[in-house]
Amino acid sequence: MVTVNQKELIAKEKANNPSLLKTIWREIRHDKMAMISLVLLLGIIITAYSSPLFIDQEQLQRVNFLETWEEPSETHLLGTDDGGRDVFGQLLIGTRNSFTIGLSVTLIAGLFGLTVGLIAGYFGGLVDNVIMRIIDFLLVLPSTMFIIVFIVIVPDYSVFTFVLMMSAFAWFGKARLIRSKGLAERELDYINASKTLGTPSWKIMFFEMFPNLSSLVIVNMTLTLAGNIGLETSLTFLGFGLPASTPSLGTLIAFATNPDIVQNKWWVWLPASLLILIMMLCINYIGQAVKRASDARQRLA
Amino acid sequence: MKKRSLMLLASLMLVLSVFLAACNGDNSADGGKDTGKDKGKDDGKTEQGGEDTTAKLDFPLDVSNDAEPMEDGEMTIAMVAGEPFEGTLNRNFYSGTYDAEILSYFDEALLDTDGDYLITNDGAATYELSEDNKTLTLKIKDGVKWHDGEPVKTSDLLYSYELLGHPDYAGNRYDFMIENVVGMPEYHEGKTKEISGIEIIDDQEMKFTYTEATPSILSGFWSYATPRHHVGDVMTGEVTIKDLESSDKIRVNPIGFGPYKIDKIVPGESVLYSRNDDYWRGKPALKSIVQKVVSPATIVESVKKGDIDLASIPADQYETVKDVDNIELLAQVDYAYTYIGFKQGKWDATKKENVTDPDAKMASKELRQAMWYAMDNATIGEKLYHGLRFPATSLIIPVFESFHDESVEGRMFDPEKAKQLLDDAGFEDKDGDGFREDQNGEELVINFASMSGGETAEPIAKAYMQNWADVGLKVELVDGRLHDFNAFYDMVENDDPKIDIYQGAWGTGSDPDPSGLYGRTASFNYTRYTSEKNDELLKAGTSEKAFDTEYRKDIYNQWQELMFEDVPVAPTVYRYALTSANKRVVNYSIDPGSDLRLFQMGVAE
Repeated sequence: MVTVNQKELIAKEKANNPSLLKTIWREIRHDKMAMISLVLLLGIIITAYSSPLFIDQEQLQRVNFLETWEEPSETHLLGTDDGGRDVFGQLLIGTRNSFTIGLSVTLIAGLFGLTVGLIAGYFGGLVDNVIMRIIDFLLVLPSTMFIIVFIVIVPDYSVFTFVLMMSAFAWFGKARLIRSKGLAERELDYINASKTLGTPSWKIMFFEMFPNLSSLVIVNMTLTLAGNIGLETSLTFLGFGLPASTPSLGTLIAFATNPDIVQNKWWVWLPASLLILIMMLCINYIGQAVKRASDARQRLA
Repeated sequence: MKKRSLMLLASLMLVLSVFLAACNGDNSADGGKDTGKDKGKDDGKTEQGGEDTTAKLDFPLDVSNDAEPMEDGEMTIAMVAGEPFEGTLNRNFYSGTYDAEILSYFDEALLDTDGDYLITNDGAATYELSEDNKTLTLKIKDGVKWHDGEPVKTSDLLYSYELLGHPDYAGNRYDFMIENVVGMPEYHEGKTKEISGIEIIDDQEMKFTYTEATPSILSGFWSYATPRHHVGDVMTGEVTIKDLESSDKIRVNPIGFGPYKIDKIVPGESVLYSRNDDYWRGKPALKSIVQKVVSPATIVESVKKGDIDLASIPADQYETVKDVDNIELLAQVDYAYTYIGFKQGKWDATKKENVTDPDAKMASKELRQAMWYAMDNATIGEKLYHGLRFPATSLIIPVFESFHDESVEGRMFDPEKAKQLLDDAGFEDKDGDGFREDQNGEELVINFASMSGGETAEPIAKAYMQNWADVGLKVELVDGRLHDFNAFYDMVENDDPKIDIYQGAWGTGSDPDPSGLYGRTASFNYTRYTSEKNDELLKAGTSEKAFDTEYRKDIYNQWQELMFEDVPVAPTVYRYALTSANKRVVNYSIDPGSDLRLFQMGVAE
């Protein structure tokens, strides 16, 4: 009797407990803000990434001094900048660049942080101690300063090196988070069982422990994605970001350091600033929904 | 320290004479004439390709307010800079243009100069040149006193020479005119303790004897005295040159004998001056002056608000500043030009001379000429700088009216001609990728170094690269980005093999003699271009015969022709220096020919 009941319960539970992706989707569908955000964000990203189809980047980057600082018109939807380059085109390509950078940094840093965190969490003890002391040390470093210094001294500067540099400083927090969750997880029976059965450690870490942490990872990555786009933008704004001729949202916003441009040439910096704001808000709303999805007690759906 | 000074010297912003004296817009104490400015303006008109911009570019040199300066006025002056000033406040050691600006308020040269920057007898001292032009007798007037009340003595001027020639001196002002003093080379090598060519007759009179008679004596004579009693005597071993350079006597409480004395220095940020009541010309009009660093990004706003009485305005902000009501814009053609340099060799540090490498990537004269033809400087000057910059033609700027050769017309934008030149010289696109290969059919990628800073740096670099790409030359930025000022000059100076061409600028100084920038032994000759003809002409230009202006003119015309033909550098634009003065400022002029002196500058009610 009891067993049958239990089986039923399990089946019920399974129906109630679909995969994480499905839960997320359900959660987003039930949250209007998140739904709007998702649609908007997808719209922006698809437009940005498909822009090379209808924008000739070389042509876009061409300096034309006869058309500097033009106001928005039919030929230039959002006017032109100091080199006579179309702002709208730069906005699209810039969004693509900024988003790609934010995403790559999140993924690379996420992967690295995850690995280190899992190792520390899984093995615990001395390994954990050593790794965590190193991370503690790295965490107190003023990372923005370091990134700036590296950018100045790196000989061959490109988007790729920039991503690597930013990633190198973005994984500490993640490692710490994963490790703390991992420490709790390693005490659980399924890990112990696997250990007893002689499963290799790496397999336990990545195929047993990791899936149980995946919701945490996804939530964290979504939320840091917004932060990383912001970091790229602010570095570029300060003049230490992408090479000057690579369009990015930061390059456009950096025009706003001049009071004259702030007041009289809004079309150069305002659209990019708004776009950043919108993108970050969207990502944040989606992130919130994902976060709720990963915790049964908070779910709306 | 030395390196830094060299870099600063070469500053793009450097609008001052460096070899001789700083003669910036705020210093009306340099006498002379005003033809230089008109000349430059005319050139501007003819070179801007027909479009009439003269009306727009008719700037006054003097402020129009002719009210009496008010008693005990106070004034705020901006140093428009993105970085803090260095604060080496001594004529022998300073290197930055901002330090020069500060120096001009509290220190001045013993000999005044006219609009041609030739020495006159209107200053704190008078001079007499002997028949054979080899001996200069200098007499300091009565009542010229340092800020601490001590009289300015001849031994103070001697001290400057002792410092400049000292074996330990690391600055860059040991130049031809210093070395030319009899006995200076021996002193410089440390063989003697005394400079035999400088004779002190009494506290007010002294005699300089020169090895070679040259017209540069009139334009390059160093007449900045150093207060020996204040800074300490290197000759008696009281201090060493090294200590002196970083001493508080120079950096914290320096003195001079100018119209204002320094009350307080906030390092890197601002200087507070007060009136020097004992100034030898009379009582200065202002009670105090505050001079502070203001960022180029906010300068227009500060000027508009009336916070700043005097400021130099970056040319790219002309459009925003020209309609501001409470100010007047003064401008004249600047002692500077921007150029593209073509690296052709190396600096031989042991021999202290430039060695040209005939196999350098940029060794082809036609290639250099073509690159000059390919640049569209007229559009840049017109559109980006609103006519405040205009295409340069020769390496002697039009301000030197007597020496600028108008028959050298420069190379105006002509891509077809550039292509033709390249075709003829064997630079052809052999593999069909749209870019030319070099004469041997090997891929040609020219690495271009340019400075960041200023809003227009990036689009300009980009525009040039585009211009060159249009004639089929593949030009790439060194490291894929613009370099900041210090990194840039570090690489250029040390002949970094990564650099093939670079964009730089020179403040030419007030002496037309170009040997300091293009001579065989000039370390500033960054392109490392040398030729025998060049050596010959530069030597002739400062020889005794060159006292005859016609002869000198002819020599310099030949030199300009040579530079036009050989293109060690391609001058890109000449520029106007723009000064904004609040309407309450009186008795102020940027005209070197003005009779107004700094101590008369004041503010009206």
